[in-house]
Amino acid sequence: VIDQKLRLRDDAITDGDIREDILSNAPDAEHGFFAVPKVIE
Amino acid sequence: VSELTAKTIAELRDGFRSGAFSAREIAQSYNAAVAAARTLNAYTVETPEDALAAAGAADNARNSGQLGSLAGIPLGIKDLFATKGVDSTAGSNILKGFRPTYESTVTANLRKAGAGMLGKLNMDEFAMGSSNETSAYGPVLSPWRRKGSNVGLTPGGSSGGSAAAVAAHIAPGVTGTDTGGSIRQPAAFVGICGIKPTYGRCSRWGVVAFASSLDQAGPMARTVRDCAILLEAMAGFDPKDSTSLDLPVPQWEANLSSDLKGKRVGIPREYRIDGVPSEINALWDRGIEWLKDAGATPVEISLPHTKYALPTYYIIAPAEASSNLARYDGVRYGMREPGEGGLDGMYGATRANGFGAEVKRRIMIGTYVLSAGFYDAYFTKAQKVRALIKQDFRNAFQQCDVILTPTAPSAAFGIGETTDPLAMYLNDVFAVPASLAGLPAMSVPGGVDEQGLPLGLHLIGNELDEQMVLNAGLAIEERAGFTARPEKWW
Repeated sequence: VIDQKLRLRDDAITDGDIREDILSNAPDAEHGFFAVPKVIE
Repeated sequence: VSELTAKTIAELRDGFRSGAFSAREIAQSYNAAVAAARTLNAYTVETPEDALAAAGAADNARNSGQLGSLAGIPLGIKDLFATKGVDSTAGSNILKGFRPTYESTVTANLRKAGAGMLGKLNMDEFAMGSSNETSAYGPVLSPWRRKGSNVGLTPGGSSGGSAAAVAAHIAPGVTGTDTGGSIRQPAAFVGICGIKPTYGRCSRWGVVAFASSLDQAGPMARTVRDCAILLEAMAGFDPKDSTSLDLPVPQWEANLSSDLKGKRVGIPREYRIDGVPSEINALWDRGIEWLKDAGATPVEISLPHTKYALPTYYIIAPAEASSNLARYDGVRYGMREPGEGGLDGMYGATRANGFGAEVKRRIMIGTYVLSAGFYDAYFTKAQKVRALIKQDFRNAFQQCDVILTPTAPSAAFGIGETTDPLAMYLNDVFAVPASLAGLPAMSVPGGVDEQGLPLGLHLIGNELDEQMVLNAGLAIEERAGFTARPEKWW
């Protein structure tokens, strides 16, 4: 509704190396991954 | 020091700078006031140590002369903003216990300006509501009561905790967010000021998403000047939000002026609707007189698609919400219910137990209007009508500089009094068109009704013209002489 163009930014990494941060709120996490109920029998 | 809580942000800032009192004294006064007002249920988390730490830093910095614009000012933060290490739950069970490891851009900006945090403020779940009754923490009680009655009233919503906190003097100013009126309607209900800026002024990064094309953060405070001070600190370009406006932040406070000579105030004839109490229309007429007195000329304008605004909003907002809220699946954050039947069962059980009834209603409406068979009939159509509503405003601003309307079609209502969802949605009938058009809009207290409850006046400005909105708000504030305060019962 406000006229603007979508910006492009340099194709550069802006974050990363924050695995612990990302997993810190997961209900269940194991070995550095999100853990979910078994999908494959 | 208890009288410190009676001061405006401008007074606190100036008094702190001149050495009349310390930032620590301000923080202590507010921390005590917050703890003494738990009956209102305005705060979901109290963070007195955060307010004290920021105050200590401000006191130390005072001698150096390097003070941010909000040094020494403690603020309340709506629970929709991610705050590092502090529960940020959007008023929902599905986010209970969520502690972000990052800080939203808006709250980071406020901290950079020197502000401390008093706590997180209660709100309707995911900002979906007009009464704060959909919160997982239970409703907020407005500090206001009807004359001769002790019925609990709602502070409006969704920024209900924010509104109650400012009105009860347990925060000098707060953040709110406004998707379809969530700053302005509660501000009107409790007799304070609140402004939603132009879409894109305040970064949405770190703000829990409801309807991304509508969500905007903004301040709520006791005066127009305080809103200008806060908005200056909150706003600004943020590369992390793709819809953030890459523009400098104007000096809204320095440029405040209630001299409206040569300005034209648009009065939209479509906003005279049936069923609105005569007191509200009478206040609207008084508002026109006040702006005339400030030098402005009223002009009648037409916004012909106004009657389609609410139905359009209730297609677009739920559509975006149903998409945004798909992320709550019990995997990465928030609550998880194991359910039965493996992963799919876990998803279903988590969402069934985590979301409240109003959020589920909107997810279902949104999913329906986006479904393959109905997408064009509802969502595409609504987007087209939205463009027409925007065009109405473009045409109107050829003829006027600012638009004056009432903020809400009623004064605050009692908790549990409005049970029909459609009746609840009507609260935002005057607020929603400006949201759909992305325009800055503000509510300023105008007076009280027969029952002694506050009523607000609503100013809508052209895009990027927050200054005009604030200036007209100031002109009303100076003339309305609104000094009514809720009697302390909590």
